Amino acid sequence: MTIGENLIIAPMVMADNDKFTDFLEHDANAYDLHGLEVGDQLQFINDDDLNFIHRVESDQILYHDQGRKRAKMVEKYLMGDLLGEGSYGKVKEVLDTETLCRRAVKILKKKRLRRIPNGETNVKREIQLLKRLHHRNIVKLIEVLYNEEKQKIYPFVSYLLSRIYCLAYSLYRYMIMEYCADELQSMLESAPEKKFPIWQSHLYFVQLIDGLEYLHSNSVIHKDIKPGNLLVTLDQVLKITDLGVAEALDMFSKDDTCKTSQGSPAFQPPEIANGLETFQGFKVDIWSAGVTLYNMTTGLYPFEGENVYRLFENIGKGEYTIPDTVDKMLSSLLTEMLQYQASKRITIAEIKQHDWYRKKFPRTCDIVPFPCHPELDDQLRCMTVLPYIEDLHLGMYSDDEEYEESEDKLDLQPVQHTPVEGNGTQVNSHKTNEIVEETIPNSKQKKHKTKSSARRFKFSACSQS
Amino acid sequence: MPLFGKSQKSPQELVKSLREGLTALTRETGEKKLDKASDDVSKNLAAIKTVLYGTESQEPQTDQVAQLAHEMYDHNMLQLLVTHLGKIDFEGRKDVAQIFNNLLRRQIGTRAPTVEYLCSRQEIVLDLMKGYETQDIALNCGMMLRECCRYEQLAKIILYSEDFHKFFDYVEVSTFDVASDAFSTFKELLTKHKMLAAVFLDQNYDKVFDPYQHLLNSENYVTRRQALKLLGELLLDRHNFSIMTKYISNPDNLKMMMNMLREKSRNIQFEAFHVFKVFVANPNKPKPILDILLRNKDKLVDFLTKFHTDRSDDEQFNDEKAYLIKQIKELKPVEET
Repeated sequence: MTIGENLIIAPMVMADNDKFTDFLEHDANAYDLHGLEVGDQLQFINDDDLNFIHRVESDQILYHDQGRKRAKMVEKYLMGDLLGEGSYGKVKEVLDTETLCRRAVKILKKKRLRRIPNGETNVKREIQLLKRLHHRNIVKLIEVLYNEEKQKIYPFVSYLLSRIYCLAYSLYRYMIMEYCADELQSMLESAPEKKFPIWQSHLYFVQLIDGLEYLHSNSVIHKDIKPGNLLVTLDQVLKITDLGVAEALDMFSKDDTCKTSQGSPAFQPPEIANGLETFQGFKVDIWSAGVTLYNMTTGLYPFEGENVYRLFENIGKGEYTIPDTVDKMLSSLLTEMLQYQASKRITIAEIKQHDWYRKKFPRTCDIVPFPCHPELDDQLRCMTVLPYIEDLHLGMYSDDEEYEESEDKLDLQPVQHTPVEGNGTQVNSHKTNEIVEETIPNSKQKKHKTKSSARRFKFSACSQS
Repeated sequence: MPLFGKSQKSPQELVKSLREGLTALTRETGEKKLDKASDDVSKNLAAIKTVLYGTESQEPQTDQVAQLAHEMYDHNMLQLLVTHLGKIDFEGRKDVAQIFNNLLRRQIGTRAPTVEYLCSRQEIVLDLMKGYETQDIALNCGMMLRECCRYEQLAKIILYSEDFHKFFDYVEVSTFDVASDAFSTFKELLTKHKMLAAVFLDQNYDKVFDPYQHLLNSENYVTRRQALKLLGELLLDRHNFSIMTKYISNPDNLKMMMNMLREKSRNIQFEAFHVFKVFVANPNKPKPILDILLRNKDKLVDFLTKFHTDRSDDEQFNDEKAYLIKQIKELKPVEET
């Protein structure tokens, strides 16, 4: 059977729903897709996406049209430009079109999460924690949106099975958060000597301690305090973010004993570097906050090492020096926070009594500003949603999947090891056969989701022939 | 504004004439003279405020501020202002609060001179608390008092003072704005400095939680609801672990929460749920608590199953509810040993 025949079937089926259901059910059996509701399939059928040839064409149109900003809405949020990218996915600026509030969205793609150890568990935990935490210095989670649109059908041609349909869907989770201008890490990187003037360090440190105190009083141990997880808003309010590896203590556990930690190595205390079975959780955050303060004020790290093992070895020894540029008061606070023995390490309440914490630092002009990022050349952080608003109201706004596509492309990288590339270059060759045979068993193992992008490209190659 | 010429006065002169004005306010009886005195006081207060806060065109000058602060301490001015606050006119009272708060925030290096000064003159802070008894000045006093609460030393003075228990009356006075102002001060005192508050609550458990029960039984809906919410916050704060353990061992408290679960107001029901859950989740329930729960086992399961079923989008609430139902279903009487 050829592609052409497949194409003819599609419109026929649309005319006759009963027939189509049978037809799909049959395929669902073949592909182990029992989990899917028939209702979902029908809903999907009614989408324009069914006509896959159009899809490919719009793909190509986009290709010529790369510079243009196309409006994309996710429920009531209008997408803006990229703010940053983490291992879990992208962060973009968005505009709440109902309240006109400026927000940021963390886009998590299920596919990607799967590849990260504990990815999904961590995200779930983070959402659960953030939902119940409300504090000025903790990043606020406004809402979580799920997108389970079934997007495309990809037909494949095979001599073994005449008709194979596969439903591919990309599952997104959008975490709508407060908008922040930047993270401390990139501000530090842009600063001369990679450090803040003392008053600016103090400004952030005081807020960090406030946020930590709140977390701890809610029995939450962050476990990954570092400049990369501290955001700053346009009005210089610090927000602790990324509670992915945080731990919430049981309400009735008498102390803060913890067993696991997945935080960043350079910020881990000796008890973790030495691999102790159990340790005091709250003191871990104190140590990491100490390393953060050390880093903000000196531009250096107290412990380094060419690899994690060396680093942990050095932390485990606990030997570090504080540069002479650091005054006595601050150096005493750092020493207290980087106390080798967790039990001797300073507590939050004691930090708040410490002279350096209480001292007033007059603001000077040497503020480290928000840096310009290569993709967004804008120190003032103007709203990036504006061109999209223009497109939304004046341009040819269409609710296509341009956005998902760009996401998909990112995921293509690891997939390229599969024979897809070969197929792409050898259109029309008999190899097509073998390749399809390879992909079928994969899809039977429910791996079809991760392969969807590969398939699409393969198909477009076929259709061009 | 009528104050241009006056701001030329030195801090010494300002404090001196303010002092004279206040004396006149308390001594004079004639209406005209009183009016003039009141006018003088307000003008001087406004001028002092300008020294402390600066104007649009001029930042406050450090040496002037320092001199002024000294004059204020030396002439016992803060005490005088608080004592005679009721006699000062409306604008003047607002200025007093602003002057007081500005001086309080003043810092030299790690020292906060006004905080130290007030620590040695505790009666000023205690007088501010009494301000809640006079409706006219209650809100001004509240502003100053809450500024005091930001400093642990001063918060400690208020918490451990003889008069702290009066807050339980202040939060229930019939004037709504005064009652809610008093409540926010009360809440600040118990939540701002966590270690201080935890130690205080631990040491004075009965002195606080006995009258607290009255707040939970208050006739006033707002008091009841706010008190319940604060109770939940206090119990769930990790700093107050020992207080929580104590609270959830008392069967009377459990009974009260079970009754509040059935209150007419849904908001109160919901807040009560968050306290009630702690009783049930406790892995070491004392026998009296366990007995009550066992006696009501079926009713509770039934009740919770139907409890706020429309909150379907609140995942955490539903998880917690399911957990509670499971816990209650699995309850078993313990053999006495």
